[in-house]
Amino acid sequence: MVTPVVVSAENLTKRYADLVAVDGITFAIHAGECFGILGPNGAGKTSTMKMISCVSPVTSGELWVAGMNVDRDWRAIKSQLGVVSQADSLDPGLSVLQNLLAYGRFFGLPAERARERAWAALDLFQLTDKAHQEPDELSGGMRRRLLIGRALLHDPKILVLDEPTTGLDPQTRHLVWDRLITLRQQGITILLTTHYMDEAAYLCDRLVIMDLGRILVEGSPEKLVQEHAGAQVLQIRVDEGERRELVERLRSGGVDVEDTGDGVMLYAEYGRLAHAESVLEGMQVTRRPGNLEDVFLRLTGRGLRDQ
Amino acid sequence: MSRVAVMVRSSVFWGGFHVWQRNRDAFLRAWKVEVGGVLIEPFVLLVAIGFGLGAYIQDFGETSYAEFLAPGLVASYAMFHATFDSTYGAYLRMESHHIYEAMLFTPIGPADIVVGEVMWSATRAVVSSTAVLTVAAGFGLVDSPLAILAIPCAYLIGAAIAALAMILTSTATTIGAMNNFFTLFILPMFYVSGVFFPLDRLPKGVQILSWALPLTPAASLVRGLVTGDTTWLMFLWALELIAVATVALWLASWFMRRRLIK
Repeated sequence: MVTPVVVSAENLTKRYADLVAVDGITFAIHAGECFGILGPNGAGKTSTMKMISCVSPVTSGELWVAGMNVDRDWRAIKSQLGVVSQADSLDPGLSVLQNLLAYGRFFGLPAERARERAWAALDLFQLTDKAHQEPDELSGGMRRRLLIGRALLHDPKILVLDEPTTGLDPQTRHLVWDRLITLRQQGITILLTTHYMDEAAYLCDRLVIMDLGRILVEGSPEKLVQEHAGAQVLQIRVDEGERRELVERLRSGGVDVEDTGDGVMLYAEYGRLAHAESVLEGMQVTRRPGNLEDVFLRLTGRGLRDQ
Repeated sequence: MSRVAVMVRSSVFWGGFHVWQRNRDAFLRAWKVEVGGVLIEPFVLLVAIGFGLGAYIQDFGETSYAEFLAPGLVASYAMFHATFDSTYGAYLRMESHHIYEAMLFTPIGPADIVVGEVMWSATRAVVSSTAVLTVAAGFGLVDSPLAILAIPCAYLIGAAIAALAMILTSTATTIGAMNNFFTLFILPMFYVSGVFFPLDRLPKGVQILSWALPLTPAASLVRGLVTGDTTWLMFLWALELIAVATVALWLASWFMRRRLIK
């Protein structure tokens, strides 16, 4: 079965005055999947989200959302999107319930339907008893839940989430994950950016890793781990002096090794391990399965990205 | 949906109306704080200037100074309250509370926001002007039943001033810029637009400049309606306000788009 494409970008580019934020990326998001965009600060994740959400014009290339062009049909596209941006944009002049009702009106929902949906959203995110409070009285976790509930008010076809769980406590994170999985089962398409690799691995069917405005790799989390980290990762702590020599010896045996500054990381397919094991005889080695974070750090490097 | 319905729903006035509703809801939660100022201030001003100062002013022909002043204040209060809301109020909503950002992730666009803010400021203008008109009527300063038309006029005055203010708000980088709008535009206009004294006492050049400012036609229009001393020129003055509102709305929408969509 061929699933329809709901977001399609071709050679998509975003240029600001003195900066290329998105540098000719091509990807497609299929109906009903959870698609992730990962990348360090400045990778172009948020710029890509903003172009899809029709709040930032495309510099060049093509971008289609729900079969429509973002330059021409922004109003129709936005009526099918539910967006949770990074900014905490609850309206402090309105009560929690009124925040939802006002949003419903922006989407043109009839009053009766907006009220129904608002109470359903409060219920879904366990905020029913907060309905008549001020947003300023809510905790950070409650505010985020309300922001996500607000974005779902009009039954969007596509849910766009820009770092939805950054700064949240573990309980709220799991509640959000749980709701997102339920929504995806109901057929909504989810587009997600995140810094959390466990989140991406848990939620995303497919993802891309971006850096400096380009897409480095694309695939399912399992496939990416297999291709770029291997089934097993060995971490070896060694002192400065011995480290360089150890790296040399391992590399000469054709093993994939990374010098992480405080030790050595070894990414191994099972077959290659024989050589490594003999070199590592007697050393303190931690063994664990490869994960998405290994892929991410290997592809984007360990240098800090301060903006 | 029919073609007409689609056209209505994609117009800036449809989106603007939803922005207006948001401001109305927020106002109705907080109005008790503001109602005192809206009623008491024009009362104090009318008593102090109209009757206090007016007692020394004799050469107003058949009318008293308070009768001359009252319609000017109706127009001025429309201007003041429209300005407060579309400068400080709108700037806070945009920059501190991120309300515009939230709206942009819905089918609302920058022009809808500008139109909605201006519609709301004009509504505030109507509320204030109606209060001043009521106080004036209580003092017996309203001579004509046409005065009731001053209320829709206040909407027009509020819209014209608010649209001008939104040009500033959409281009300002600090809230301090709003102070300049008051001290360099609104207050000077308040003193040279025929609110406190007839324009013919001013030098010719200042008179011409004064008619180019929106408060002058606004005050004259309201004065004609409140005193019943009407002239065909009133249509021209109303047209001037409509023209100012239209051009300023268009400019403010353009600037707002440039600011928000980048």
